[in-house]
Amino acid sequence: MAPPEEAGGGDQFPVGMKVLVVDDDQTCLAVLKRMLIQCRYDATTCSQATRALAMLRENRGAFDVIISDVHMPDMNGFRLLELVGLEMDLPVIMMSADSRTDLVMKGIKHGACDYLIKPVRMEELKNIWQHVVRKKFGGNKEHEHSGSLDDTDRNRPTNNDNEYASSANDGAEDSWKSQKKKRDKEEDDSELESGDPSNNSKKPRVVWSVELHQQFVNAVNHLGIDKAVPKKILELMNVPGLTRENVASHLQKFRLYLKRIAQHHAGMGNPYGVPASSAQVASLGGLDFQALAASGQIPPQALAALQDELLGRPTNNLVLPGRDQSSLRLAAVKGNKPHGEQIAFGQPIYKVQNNSYAALPQNSPAVGRMPSFSAWPNNKLGMADSMSALGNVNNSQNSNIGLHELQQQPDTMLSGTLHTLDVKPSGIVMPSQSLNTFPASEGLSPNQNPLIVPSQSSGYLTGIPPSMKPELVLPTSQSSNNLLGGIDLINQASTSQPFISSHGGNLSGLMNRNSNVIPSQGISNFQTGNTPYLVNQNSMGMGSKPPGVLKTESTDSLNQSYGYVNHMDSGLLSSQSKNAQFGFLQSPNDVTGGWSSLQNMDCFRNTVGPSQPVSSSSSFHSSNAALGKLPDQGRGKNLGFVGKGTCIPNRFAVDEIESPTNSLSHSIGSSGDIPDMFGFSGQM
Amino acid sequence: MDYSNLRRQAASLKKGLFDQGHLDEQFRQVEDLQDEASPNFVEEVVVVFFKDSGRLITNLEQALEKYPRDFNRWDAYMQQLKGSCSSIGASRMKNECMSFRDSCGQRNVEGCMGSFQKLKREHAVLRQKLESYFQLLRQAGPAGAATRPVM
Repeated sequence: MAPPEEAGGGDQFPVGMKVLVVDDDQTCLAVLKRMLIQCRYDATTCSQATRALAMLRENRGAFDVIISDVHMPDMNGFRLLELVGLEMDLPVIMMSADSRTDLVMKGIKHGACDYLIKPVRMEELKNIWQHVVRKKFGGNKEHEHSGSLDDTDRNRPTNNDNEYASSANDGAEDSWKSQKKKRDKEEDDSELESGDPSNNSKKPRVVWSVELHQQFVNAVNHLGIDKAVPKKILELMNVPGLTRENVASHLQKFRLYLKRIAQHHAGMGNPYGVPASSAQVASLGGLDFQALAASGQIPPQALAALQDELLGRPTNNLVLPGRDQSSLRLAAVKGNKPHGEQIAFGQPIYKVQNNSYAALPQNSPAVGRMPSFSAWPNNKLGMADSMSALGNVNNSQNSNIGLHELQQQPDTMLSGTLHTLDVKPSGIVMPSQSLNTFPASEGLSPNQNPLIVPSQSSGYLTGIPPSMKPELVLPTSQSSNNLLGGIDLINQASTSQPFISSHGGNLSGLMNRNSNVIPSQGISNFQTGNTPYLVNQNSMGMGSKPPGVLKTESTDSLNQSYGYVNHMDSGLLSSQSKNAQFGFLQSPNDVTGGWSSLQNMDCFRNTVGPSQPVSSSSSFHSSNAALGKLPDQGRGKNLGFVGKGTCIPNRFAVDEIESPTNSLSHSIGSSGDIPDMFGFSGQM
Repeated sequence: MDYSNLRRQAASLKKGLFDQGHLDEQFRQVEDLQDEASPNFVEEVVVVFFKDSGRLITNLEQALEKYPRDFNRWDAYMQQLKGSCSSIGASRMKNECMSFRDSCGQRNVEGCMGSFQKLKREHAVLRQKLESYFQLLRQAGPAGAATRPVM
C-alpha cells in the first residue's frame, strides 16, 4: 500500500506515527495492526485497556494516537478515552461495530477525535494522522502557515492533507515529531501565551483571556450575532497581533457554545438525566444565537440555568443536553450531582480545601489548590462513572489546563486525572509546579488541556485518589476557574486534573492563571496570568472530526478556551477550559475563592448583557467575596463554563466529581444562577 | 497443472463463499493485507477468528442457559462477536448477530434462540469451507509459486 504520505513531497510525516490500538477482539487487532503497518505507521496492539493505560502513563510520548474499542471487558472505552485525554492529551479515536448514533455522539462528547465503525477500512486509517497534527497545532493558526493551517484547522478538512502536512512538516526534518517541536518553538508570538514552556508540543495559540474574550463578545454584540464576521470583529477588537483566523475560530466556538446553550435550555437536556425543570430552560429554549446575542450573549437565565446545572444544583432546569457525560459529571462531581449530571465543574472544587472555594462553583479549577481536586476528577474520569469517562475525556484535557491556574477548574478532572495528569495542560497555566502530574501543565499547550494545574499540584494531583475527593476540589481552582462559576465546574470536571495542584493555598499562584481549566486543550493557557490569547482550540481533544458534529464544535470552537462549556462534543470538559477563558475565572488571584467563577458570574452578568441581573451572580459573588474576589478577569476568564449542557468539557467527566462539587455547587447554586457560564462575566 | 488445478479449486471455493454471502468485501481487504512480509496473514487471522468466535459462541450458549432472559448480558456477548465477524468479513454470521441483537432489544427469547442456532450453523459452515480453502491453497501454494500470476 502506498504510504499515506501525501503531505508535501519528501515529508515523511505520517510515516512512523506511533499508534496504539486497544481492543479485546484479537481478530480486529490483528487486522488493524496489519493495516496500520501497511499505512507505514508504527502500530502496537493491546488487548487490555488497563494495560494500555499503564503503558501510556509510563511513557506518554510513546504514542501519537490511540485507537480504542468502545466495548471492552476491563474498562469502558469511553473511560479510557477520557483518561487519556485528560492525562495525556493524546488524540483518541474510538471504534466499534456498533454504529448507533448515540454512541457515536457519546464518543465525540467525550473527546474522541474520531469514531470509526468496524470494520475499519484502510482508507479511514490512512487519514488518522490528521488528528494528530490537528491536535498538535491546536489553535495556533497564525504561527503555522496560516494559510494552510487555518484552513485545516478551521475547516477540519480531511482532505487537506497536503496542506496540513506541508505546514506541519514545515521544516520538519523527517519525523513528524520534529515538526511538532518546531511548532512549539513558534510560540513566541506575543499574543500567544506560551505559558508553559514545558510543553514541547506547545503550539502557539492565542489565549483567549477573559479580557480578550470580553472584547470579542463586545464586538460581537455590537455587530449583532448575525452580522458578526471575523473581519469586523477583528477590527472592532483592535487587538494587535490578533489575526482574523484567531477570531474566526473563536467565533466558531462561540457560536457553538451559544447554540449549545440554546439547545440546552430548550430542554434538550434530560436525556442525560439531568432533570431539567426547565423553568429556566424553557426560557432559553429556542434561544438562538440572536436571542442570545441580544441578551448579551448568554441570557442570564440561561446562564443561571446552566450554572445551576453545572453546579448540580437542583435546578434541574438546565438539563444540559448533550452534555450528558461530561457535563453531567461535572455537576455530579461537584458533589451536588443532583442529577448526577450536572456540570459539576466548578463545584467540586469547592470542597477542596479552601473553603473559600467552596463557594466556588464548580469552576474553581483552582487546581493548584485543591489537591483533593484531583481526586475528584478522577472520579469522574477514571471512574467508571460513565459520564466522565466519556465526556470528560475531553475535558480532562482541558482541565489539565486549568489547573495551572487553579483557576481553572480543577474540577472533576483533576481528581481523577491528577494522578496521571500528565494531562498536558493545554494551556492552562498552572504554575507548573503542581503540575507534576500533568505533563504539560505548563503553558497552555494546546494539545493538552490547559488544565494547568498549579504547580503545587504535582503532588496533589496524584494524591487525589480517584475517588475524587470532593474536598479536594481544589479550592483554588475555584477562584481561578470559577469563571463560570458553574461552568467552571465543568471545566473542572474536565480539566480538573491539572489544577489540582493543591498548592496549598497558594492559589494565587494558581489562580493567576485564570486559565482555569479551560477545558482541555484549547484553553490551556489562558491562565498563566497573562491573559494570553490562548486559543486553544483544539485542545479539546475533540478534535477531529466530529462525527457527531459535536466534536467539531466543541473541540474546535470550544477548545478555544471558550469555556463553552462543554465543548459540546467532546464532552470533555475541555470546553471548560475554555470557559475559563471566557474570563470567568479571571484570575482568581485570590484564589480565595478560587472562584473566579464567582467573579465571573459577575462579570458575566455584565457581559451578558443587561438582560437580567444575574442574581445568582450576586449571591455568587458574595461567596466570592469571601473567596477573595476573584481577580480581575483578565486572566483567562475561564469561561469554563462550558456549556453545561453541552458536554462539559470533556475532561471533566464531571460526574464523578460529585463530591467536591457539592459544596461548591451549593454555594453556587444558592447564589443563584451563575450566569456566567460562558465566562463572559469574567470581567468583573 | 496439478497445482493450478488446486488453485483453481481454491479460487472457485472462495468465489462461492462470496457469492453466497458468507464473505464480503472486508475479506478482500484482509486479503490485501497479505504480502511478502506476512505471507500467511489471511490464514492466521482466520484461525484467530475461529478461535475467538468459537469461544464466544460457547460462552453465549452457556449464558443463554444460565441466565435466562438476561438480554443485556446476551447482547454484550453478541456485540463482541459481531465486531469480530465484521473485522474479517464474515457477513452471514454478522447478519445473524444483528438479528440476535434485535431480538434482545425486543426481549424476544425465541427470536434470540432462533438467531443463535442459525449463527452456530453459519459459523460451522464458514469454518469448514475456509479450512478447505486454505488447505487447497497450501497444497497449491509451494508449487504454485512459480506459476502464480501475481508476484
